[in-house]
Amino acid sequence: MHEMALMGEVIDIIKEDAASKRIIKIDMVELLVGEISNAMPDALKMAFEVYKEQNAYFFEKNARIFIQIEKALAECILCSKSYVPDNNRISFCPVCGLPSGKIISGESFQILSYEGSGDADESNVAHRCADQ
Amino acid sequence: MLMKVTLRTDVLTNNNKAADYNRELFTTTKTLVINLMSSPGAGKTTLLEETVSVLSRKYRIAVIEGDLATEKDADRIRKAGAKAVQINTHGGCHLDARMIAAVLPEFDLEEVDVLFIENVGNLVCPSGYDLGQMHKVAVLSVPEGNDKIPKYPVMFMRTELVLLNKIDLLPYLDFNVEKAKRDLEGINLSSKLIPVSAKSKEGLLDWFNWIEEAYKTCQQ
Ligand SMILES: Nc1nc2c(ncn2[C@@H]2O[C@H](COP(=O)(O)OP(=O)(O)OP(=O)(O)O)[C@@H](O)[C@H]2O)c(=O)[nH]1
Ligand SMILES: [Mg+2]
Ligand SMILES: [Zn+2]
Repeated sequence: MHEMALMGEVIDIIKEDAASKRIIKIDMVELLVGEISNAMPDALKMAFEVYKEQNAYFFEKNARIFIQIEKALAECILCSKSYVPDNNRISFCPVCGLPSGKIISGESFQILSYEGSGDADESNVAHRCADQ
Repeated sequence: MLMKVTLRTDVLTNNNKAADYNRELFTTTKTLVINLMSSPGAGKTTLLEETVSVLSRKYRIAVIEGDLATEKDADRIRKAGAKAVQINTHGGCHLDARMIAAVLPEFDLEEVDVLFIENVGNLVCPSGYDLGQMHKVAVLSVPEGNDKIPKYPVMFMRTELVLLNKIDLLPYLDFNVEKAKRDLEGINLSSKLIPVSAKSKEGLLDWFNWIEEAYKTCQQ
């Protein structure tokens, strides 16, 4: 299941970014998944639960994942009309009836945002260090 | 304190960075790199064996073999006469750009004209991973049936050539080549389809000519 590998990438990117912002515990992750990105939202959610268990120190127990779906959209290079592509006939413009369409949306797969909390004692730590 | 961070980062950003690194190497050494993808058993290794045994007279060919666990395909390529390096993905369903970057030091790319990458047999996962190749080619075989192109549109959207392999079996199986062409056109207007048989060798010349054209373009 390649959603495990994909979710692994998501976790790695968030861990790296969180470290740079001194965020130590994550409680929300928000993804954008295109309809034709080859990633399945349900499988991603399942993979998220697995990683959450494996990385309990990094995730709040009730950490959530939100997945925004990016709709598939194509545009005809002949008549410039945009249309919702049929899975099997992505490039067929419904107006011209020719294979003249190009995908303009629906292939994205992004981490939109995440939410987490920093070390609550961070200021104390700083003071203690300054004292010494 | 709770903090929300907006990222808008591509999930495959680390893969894409490694792919750019590979591409840079391939471009500076003018190595033609072709990423071959298909279902398990469509005939990638057999096609590469034939390709190596004929085109080795003309080009210095090397192959990276992606496989779940074994070294078998790399051995077959070596027997056919090309250098082959095996990447075992340990169950992983695709090759990624970092795996490729990790084995590139085993080749002297200045001394390689054409590098083939045989991806792990799978019509879904490999399509999403840029390896830094110049061309993505899908192999589809006659016994798999006509429904594969509409069933796995993303793979065929992202490849520029389909090698329809095992056409020696057309008389025995219910496969419609014209329909496959129409289905492909419906998904990707710029993709070509070349019917071949690695067994009877029919159509292989068209495939070799395609490589020749790609090689010329890559040398410019
Ligand atoms: N009839 C016929 N059989 C073929 C042809 N090409 C390959 N085969 C057979 O198909 C089987 C699988 O071929 P491989 O070349 O190993 O396929 P592959 O795509 O490399 O398979 P994986 O690496 O496992 O994904 C072998 O038994 C081949 O002999 C062909 O053109 N015609
Ligand atoms: Mg093989
Ligand atoms: Zn149109």
